[in-house]
Amino acid sequence: MKGRHYDEWGTSSVATMPGAAVPPEREPAAGRHSSVIFADDGEWAAHLCVFVRGGLEQGERIHYFADATDPERVVRALTDAGIDAVAAVRRGQLSVSTAAQTYLAGTGFDPDAMIRLWHDAVEAASVLGYRGLRAIGEMSWGARDIPGADRLLEYELRIHHEVFDLLPLKAWCFYDRRLLSDDQVNLLAGAHLTRRGDPVGGPVLRVAPLLDHPGLLMAGSTGYDTRHVVAAAAAALRGMPTKRVELDLAGLRHVDAASLATLADAAVSRPAGTPLRVRQAPPSLRRLLDLFPERGSAVEVLDR
Amino acid sequence: MTMNSRAADRPGQQAPFFHPALFYNSDKEYVGGVGDFVRGALDEERPVLVAVPGPRLKLLKDVLDGDHGHVTWVDMSQTGRNPGRILSMLQEFADHPGHGHKPVSIVGEPIWVGRTPAESWEATRHEALINLAFEGRSVSILCPYDTALAEEVLAQAHRTHPVVGDSVAYRASTGYTDPHEVCRDCDTPLPEPQDAVVIAFGEEDLARTRDEADRWAATAGLPPERRTDWLLAIGEATSNSVRHGGGRGRLRMWRADGEVVAEISDRGRLSDPLTGRRRPDPYAPTGGRGVWIMHQLCDLVEIRAAAQGLVLRLHMG
Repeated sequence: MKGRHYDEWGTSSVATMPGAAVPPEREPAAGRHSSVIFADDGEWAAHLCVFVRGGLEQGERIHYFADATDPERVVRALTDAGIDAVAAVRRGQLSVSTAAQTYLAGTGFDPDAMIRLWHDAVEAASVLGYRGLRAIGEMSWGARDIPGADRLLEYELRIHHEVFDLLPLKAWCFYDRRLLSDDQVNLLAGAHLTRRGDPVGGPVLRVAPLLDHPGLLMAGSTGYDTRHVVAAAAAALRGMPTKRVELDLAGLRHVDAASLATLADAAVSRPAGTPLRVRQAPPSLRRLLDLFPERGSAVEVLDR
Repeated sequence: MTMNSRAADRPGQQAPFFHPALFYNSDKEYVGGVGDFVRGALDEERPVLVAVPGPRLKLLKDVLDGDHGHVTWVDMSQTGRNPGRILSMLQEFADHPGHGHKPVSIVGEPIWVGRTPAESWEATRHEALINLAFEGRSVSILCPYDTALAEEVLAQAHRTHPVVGDSVAYRASTGYTDPHEVCRDCDTPLPEPQDAVVIAFGEEDLARTRDEADRWAATAGLPPERRTDWLLAIGEATSNSVRHGGGRGRLRMWRADGEVVAEISDRGRLSDPLTGRRRPDPYAPTGGRGVWIMHQLCDLVEIRAAAQGLVLRLHMG
């Protein structure tokens, strides 16, 4: 069965049913959302080919969302590696588009809209008979002055629980060190539970989803310099749809008063209204709660 | 002796704002003057706070006998070790919702024999700020001064108190000076440290500055729980430099007389001398907590606000 299909990303393709859908043996969510760090075209092509080849072999639908790369170059790199990308595009199994044409085409980047798009895209792939969906996104637009780009970290923190825990989706986020600063790469790559390629170093404050239950881990040190990171973490916590969310602070050496206030405000504004459950709170957080005990109703230290 | 009004003889009846210095040279004069003030306030059913050094607390409790259960007692040598945190405590007491709209009476003894000159200097600033913080309010604050204190300290008490007296009577202070002027006079140059570690910082260096401050304090032998306070205070001060002090600042750290000192200097201005002297709203969205936190955590905060910038010296033992 063939036919022109306008998909959830607004791009058109010829859809092909590759056979009866078989529920896939789902890889754990942590392994299906990975950051990929590279610094030259050879590394880029190697990661691209491994990912696309795997998707084609497993009968999955594949989307590539380019930013800095010409979509034709993506197809050419795959072809050069012996992958029949042209045929895959023709039958609708592979699509190569740009972020600007798709999820950034509206008013800018909106994590909530993006999360809804993933649900729609996985549903569409399933309807078309694919065994799953995998996607590559070039994330270099996050370094530019695009409306909503400041919410990229919030998005990366949310999708582990709001997308990958729920859907048979595998996605690699491409971080090109030539196009993003070391600080940006380290921070954004650090928000993934699986990483490929070498980060340049640890960010001042690393934030990542918790592996097993809704919440975040924070490691490093907070201050005025990390206010945007803490704000992104707070936004992610605020949006988590579960009643209980946890903060694992085992790796957090120091937290400042403004960051505690930001996190406590996020807890208060959560729909469930339940306090953040904090594990391994650093001494500075306990000291701040001594000074501002009112905040204890929003930040519950579990192992005092 | 020129006496103030009759009301001045009975400090519990002053209104709206009464801030006398009581000079005493013996325990008898102390319990006489302070005891009269407290009993007068209790007679008028005013909430009473007595914040004096520990040994004086015992003396007053003994003499006030059955009345002392209605008084809030605070050991000033502990709670007010850093003079910069005393005013916050006094305002919190005066504003306590449980007091309704009753005027309150406070005994506050911020300077005692044994205070260092640097502490006494900041306590003098605190005394001047009381006049700004409580201006127009129905509050009586009696400040006992031991006449064994240094002459300079006693002279400053005449400048910072609108009323002075002894266990017998009070009179208007002829030396009373505008609080802003007293604060400006307190902004004298600080002695230069020896062997200070110097770190220049901007926003991009804040994390490294925190880490270096923590490592330095560990090497200097500051216990872990005090290092937490040290780092919180320095973190607030350096953040303030970046936010309000021209975007950059300088941190110096050194050991002195069994304590560690951090000095944060920048190009900022202290537009309101009462900054950090009132407990901030924990829910305030705009911050404004930094200086108050420093005062709560440090043993002494020296402030020097000059035309060329702001200097904060944080002491921790």
